Amino acid sequence: MQKFSYVIKDEVGIHARPAGLLVKEAKKYESKIQIVKDAKSVEASKLMALMGLGVKCGDTVEVVVEGSDEDAAFEGIQTFFENNL
Amino acid sequence: MGMDYAKCAKEIFETVGGRENLVSAAHCATRLRLVTSDNNRVDMKKLEAIDGVKGVFSNNGQLQLIIGTGTVNKVYEEFLHISGMTAATKEEVKAAAAARQPLLKRMIKALGDVFVPILPAIVASGLMMGLVEALGKAIPAFAGSDWYGILDLMANTAFTFLPILIAISATRVFGGNIFLGAVIGMIMIHPNLINAWSVGSMDAAEILVWHLFGFPIRQVGYQGHVIPVVIAIWLMCRLEKWLHQHVPEMIDLFVTPLCTVLATAFLTLGIIGPAFSLAENYVLSFAAWIITVGYGIGAMLMGALYPLTVVCGIHHMYNVIEAGMLSAADGLNIWMPIASAANFAQGAACLAVGLKARNAKTKAVAIPSALSAALGITEPAIFGVNLRFIKPLICGIIGGAAGALLGSVFHIGATSYGVTGIPGFLITLDYTLQYAIILAVAFGISFILTWFTWKEEGSEETGKDKVKAIERALFAPVKGNVIPRQDIPDETFASGVLGDGVGIVPEVGEVLAPFDGVISSTTDTCHAVGITGPGEMEVLIHVGVDTVNMKGDGFTLFVSEGEQVKAGQKLIAFDMAKIKAAGYSPVTAVLLTNSDDFPNFQTVKSGQTDALEKLFTV
Repeated sequence: MQKFSYVIKDEVGIHARPAGLLVKEAKKYESKIQIVKDAKSVEASKLMALMGLGVKCGDTVEVVVEGSDEDAAFEGIQTFFENNL
Repeated sequence: MGMDYAKCAKEIFETVGGRENLVSAAHCATRLRLVTSDNNRVDMKKLEAIDGVKGVFSNNGQLQLIIGTGTVNKVYEEFLHISGMTAATKEEVKAAAAARQPLLKRMIKALGDVFVPILPAIVASGLMMGLVEALGKAIPAFAGSDWYGILDLMANTAFTFLPILIAISATRVFGGNIFLGAVIGMIMIHPNLINAWSVGSMDAAEILVWHLFGFPIRQVGYQGHVIPVVIAIWLMCRLEKWLHQHVPEMIDLFVTPLCTVLATAFLTLGIIGPAFSLAENYVLSFAAWIITVGYGIGAMLMGALYPLTVVCGIHHMYNVIEAGMLSAADGLNIWMPIASAANFAQGAACLAVGLKARNAKTKAVAIPSALSAALGITEPAIFGVNLRFIKPLICGIIGGAAGALLGSVFHIGATSYGVTGIPGFLITLDYTLQYAIILAVAFGISFILTWFTWKEEGSEETGKDKVKAIERALFAPVKGNVIPRQDIPDETFASGVLGDGVGIVPEVGEVLAPFDGVISSTTDTCHAVGITGPGEMEVLIHVGVDTVNMKGDGFTLFVSEGEQVKAGQKLIAFDMAKIKAAGYSPVTAVLLTNSDDFPNFQTVKSGQTDALEKLFTV
């Protein structure tokens, strides 16, 4: 298991478009990728759940990656967050 | 003494490398326990020098700072405050440490990652080999036939060249050039080297040796080996990466591959290989000795250890022991029942996994692997399944030990060697009943233990399969003109990243529920709503393009997250004039976000639609 915390910088937070891109990225990996905000945790591959988190700009989320390709997933997702959120 | 908790906490926080290097924090009666992502970045001396810190040490990946009773909790509070972390329980700290700690576990994981992609090849070969060999034993005439020859060739190819497959897969896992990896694999089984499978039956004097720098290198290949290949490739990948960074770009293209292959090959044939063959010889002598230990204890231990020697790729050496036994006075191969029990038990554990697993991939791998193990070829079961989950491996070991013990108690043996498991009946004709009991016991214990102790991780994906058959549909949530998804004036929606669906150019500023369902997400800006309906359809209705920027002005949301809604119920009202005035397109995206799960997804409406006309079927 690997995890990192991230403070959202994107103005609209994890809304439809970034959420969709995140889901797309998350689906590339076999590992389970979870986004945790305020003790609520959802799978990054589930768009609705992700949007349901209502992550806004300035919120801190924790990203937890666990599974067979977690090294690659961790790196990919972290890069994704830095570039898109 | 008035200690400054905040100052102490702040200094600790800075010394350990700030928030980015912190995974979690907890405290016990006297110590602050921290997990950092990189302990090497922590200056222990500086940490110890902090006023209030009485001692520092690192244990199991955890950094422990002795602060003292009564003060540690105050420092901890300040620490959380400064770092912005939330309180972690001691268990959480332990778990976080465990995740990045045990090397053995990470190694096993790496081995699993290497093996899983090549499983189809070795499962196919394992099954073929088991069948061909069994047939060869059952029908002596077949064994000498042309058919046997050609089938045997096809069957053992993947095992003969296993190091190449492993090398390629391992290079992918460790991140190197897969062609260089393949070359290393090929070097290890080059036809000029003696086949590892033949070495056992050869005289030591017949084996050619190179002498380099006073180093003897036996000209023996690595057929059937796993671990030396993985180690070699790991080394190669490290070397290649290092060279890429340090060799000037101009000459990188030829210097790096050349040095990588040359250095890895020398190390492999010169050090890794000999170290392994030395270890193999020890294991072999040990194995030959241990089964002579009386009262079945030796056999039981060997039955337990057997799968572990398969993991190391040493098992093919056992032919030597078996051949030795057969040529002895009584000519009874008592090794075979041990190996057979161990193999069969691994197969049983693998089968239990296969039957219990819900994950389709695990199932698909485990069942044929179990079958192959029953025929005596256990690599797919051990590497592909049991070793990955560990528990099945251990359960199999227990079952195998029990079976081996029984075999020794019955004092049975085989009249030949080369097959185990079910085909093993053919070479234990004098003891059919006892042999069957051994297999049954090994199987039963292993299967039952695995069944009850092994639990699939994250076994949630259950519902998906049930969701089928019943016609499910989505009805237009908005009245207007249906346009193809590709024509939605927004790249993200049009590209299908968010799922398949359509756009509707609205005529009325009203969004209705497209089916009976549950509101799964809403936004503060009220311009989009997610709704989950029959068959886990997850639909996103997004009014307008870029309307998130209107921050809710012109939108009214009538439902809240988690609310049950009926088809046709009003979800959102929006002011089209305001959207247009703000300069945005009012095109409303209606997307099935999990359309990947619905292969039969279809849009059945185009052009003008009334609200609640049928729009999609899945």
